[in-house]
Amino acid sequence: MATNEQESKSLWHHAWDSLMSDRTTVIAMSIVLIYSVVALLSSTGLIVSDWSKEVGPSYAPPSSEFLFGLDIFGRSVFAKTVKATEIAMSVGLVTGILTVLIGVTLGSIAGYYGGKVDEVLVWFYTTVSSIPGIMLLISIAFIVGKGLLAVYLSLGLTSWTGLFRLIRGEFIRHKDREYVQAATAIGGGDFRKIFKHILPNVFHIVIINFSLQFQFAIKSEVILSYLGLGVQGVPSWGTMINDAKLELARGNWWQLAAATAAMMVVVLAFNILGDSLRDALDPKLKGK
Amino acid sequence: MKKISFILSILALVGLLGTSCTKKADIKGKTLNMAVSSQVKGMDPIYANDRYSSNEVARIYEGLLEYHYLKRPYTLVPNLAEAMPIVSKDGLTYTFKIKKGIMFQNDAAFPEGNGRELVAEDFVFSIKRLADPKLQGLGWWLLDGKITGLNEWRKKYTELPTVDYEEEVEGLKALDRYTLQFKLAKPFPQFLYALAMPFTFAVAKEAVAKYGNEFLNHPVGTGPFAIKDGVFKQTKKITYVKNPTFREKKFPCEASAKFEKEGLLADCGKKLPLVDRVIVNIIEEDQPRWLNFQKGKVEYVSVPKDNFDTVIPDAKNLSPEYLSKGIDLMVSPSLDVTYTAFNHDLKLFKDNVKLRQAMSLAYDVNTSNKLFYNNQAIPAQSVVPPGIAGHIENYVSPYRGNGSPEQLVQAKKLLAEAGYPEGKGLPEITYDCPSSTVTRQIGEYFKKQMAKIGINVKVTQNPWPELQKKITTRNVMAYGIAWGADYPDAENFLQLLYGPNKAPGANGSGYNNPELNRLFKVAAVMQDSPERTALYEKMNRIAAEEVPWIYGVHRQSFVLKHSWLKNFVNSDFDAGIAQYLNIDKKMKIEMVKKL
Repeated sequence: MATNEQESKSLWHHAWDSLMSDRTTVIAMSIVLIYSVVALLSSTGLIVSDWSKEVGPSYAPPSSEFLFGLDIFGRSVFAKTVKATEIAMSVGLVTGILTVLIGVTLGSIAGYYGGKVDEVLVWFYTTVSSIPGIMLLISIAFIVGKGLLAVYLSLGLTSWTGLFRLIRGEFIRHKDREYVQAATAIGGGDFRKIFKHILPNVFHIVIINFSLQFQFAIKSEVILSYLGLGVQGVPSWGTMINDAKLELARGNWWQLAAATAAMMVVVLAFNILGDSLRDALDPKLKGK
Repeated sequence: MKKISFILSILALVGLLGTSCTKKADIKGKTLNMAVSSQVKGMDPIYANDRYSSNEVARIYEGLLEYHYLKRPYTLVPNLAEAMPIVSKDGLTYTFKIKKGIMFQNDAAFPEGNGRELVAEDFVFSIKRLADPKLQGLGWWLLDGKITGLNEWRKKYTELPTVDYEEEVEGLKALDRYTLQFKLAKPFPQFLYALAMPFTFAVAKEAVAKYGNEFLNHPVGTGPFAIKDGVFKQTKKITYVKNPTFREKKFPCEASAKFEKEGLLADCGKKLPLVDRVIVNIIEEDQPRWLNFQKGKVEYVSVPKDNFDTVIPDAKNLSPEYLSKGIDLMVSPSLDVTYTAFNHDLKLFKDNVKLRQAMSLAYDVNTSNKLFYNNQAIPAQSVVPPGIAGHIENYVSPYRGNGSPEQLVQAKKLLAEAGYPEGKGLPEITYDCPSSTVTRQIGEYFKKQMAKIGINVKVTQNPWPELQKKITTRNVMAYGIAWGADYPDAENFLQLLYGPNKAPGANGSGYNNPELNRLFKVAAVMQDSPERTALYEKMNRIAAEEVPWIYGVHRQSFVLKHSWLKNFVNSDFDAGIAQYLNIDKKMKIEMVKKL
């Protein structure tokens, strides 16, 4: 048992070292960190709480006074972009957590117990994943009403299937291994075996998946808001792009540029981070 | 037809554009390539309750009457009728003679595929179809309670499994092959307008019988055009060809002085239609439509709001760049009104006129005009738009918000008197709107305006059918919408505030004011007269002071057309206009080079 513990510790330690040694990863991590801090500050009202204020003439172009220019109502596009960061990050975080909770719980149960339980859960997940994603999102948005909650729920409740599949597979692989048998032998219960023994061994999958889920949720939120199904009444990169669709005809490029740049940077950062995490954590890739 | 248009279909209102492919310019005959900005439901007159569908229906089908193409104010003239009807003294019996020798287009529904002659009985059939309870025609409201015996007929067959069209209806009879008689249950001065609306156009029972449910996609009419291959495939491109058996209908030789001066009578006396085929492209987004126009693939287009400044820099004249290409600008006011309706089922709004007045005062219409209509719309003081009797010239409503600081003070005062000082105690008000970009922006603007006096608004976007459903099921607090005239009579606007018309009728706000209802009831059965106008104005004034809605604007349409498109005039009732349009092919080939 002791060796086992030591190994797992060194895995995380090792992963951290390998992450920090790659400059791109460090940059990606810093970007994610900056976005998180911005989102946190904005949600507590310390910055851009007055994003809806009219600060100048309608459609003023970017200048030293108005970084990123102004929108149709003379609101600062910069402030809107920052405020939208809060929405995007919160959507990423909440749906990421939801996905992990549902995916890991159901996946481990299905994989660990097998049999009828597994059949039912597999049936359930195939059903959910066979429904076209966007349709499901729209119908959930209609049921719970539009707004941030709908976005959280619709993304969280639809995107757990991938993680479920992975976790279930890992559990099937692990549940008959020696260390689990040993745990059974010394009288460990199911709960203990699932959470104490198997889960830590498959947790790297959860982390990688979480980071990829995060950026997927951000992208989805933008699409939903672009279609008018997302957040209502607060800025979102999606609604900004939707605005820009018409403004481009006037030659107003700044709202589109600000929203897409903000989105691109964070999505790219998460993708790089996800990749590096996989490289660092996946035992199969170790040493390559 | 119920033509509620999205609050911001602004210029898309005249959403028909003509496309004309340069490559195809040398094929035989003239092609008029048009485009519309919205999907078309189908080709069945009884379901054509939006402007886009009814325009398509009217290329193929015809009615007893139509609007004179070149006369303003709008004048009804006979179309399939031989002449205007003989009206009995009590104004209740209308007798029409129908033109002889009018043929339905050739179609497999008829013996040997040859269209038969149109007879009075066809109108009896078509109007019964509109009333058929099994079909749920969307234009039934138009005749509901108006024709003697028709409601009873409808009611009877609501419960029976099949509908018997043979059963005679007292108020709807073919006296002989070419004579049609309507008996009205009560005076209905707008009746003749109803006969110019596609809902009452003539269909052939053979076609209805043959195609059944698919009749929607198999139009068989008497009109100037027929759909190519006889089938509407619900595609984004609809091709029409000249109906070879179309009667001798001539381009008018009379016109209002203004149109005469503009030389619109050049084609006087020529046989209609003037083009050999019409291609309608459905292009929903503004920008692709606009680009198509610029390439000369579209003959006319309404100016998208975001291109307005480049195209019409001083808001009056076309920029030299466009002038040099021979493009014309046509500006005309639309018979419509945009508004934010309150749900009067809610006690909050129903009993609190001061709250409504406060909100109306806080809503700065001038800025919204600038932001959304390029400052070209007319701020609405009340419900009736300029151009029809009942609109009060130079009247300024005391509750029309215009952005002045005094009004804001007054609004705050009224809000306090209403029991909500600085908005305290007032629940969050939801504002529902359609889901297009501009309607959302209008919603955000409303939110901003209300925030000025401390009222908290939440904007919710809905797909169009969803919004309509929400309104009908009274599941709204406030919503933004617009109304375009069905016919040039203030009654069509005032009915939106008539209590008994409440949802699912046209009065979506559920406003119910006994005084207004009483006046409306009186005016609705009066023929056009100064007395009726006085009543209309009185109602219009009540509608302003009681603030059942926050009024928006009356829009103007800005349409650009290419030099080779002839005979085009702006119209609020543009069903059937394609037959009058002409193309100068030679000029087109030349001018396209300049684009």
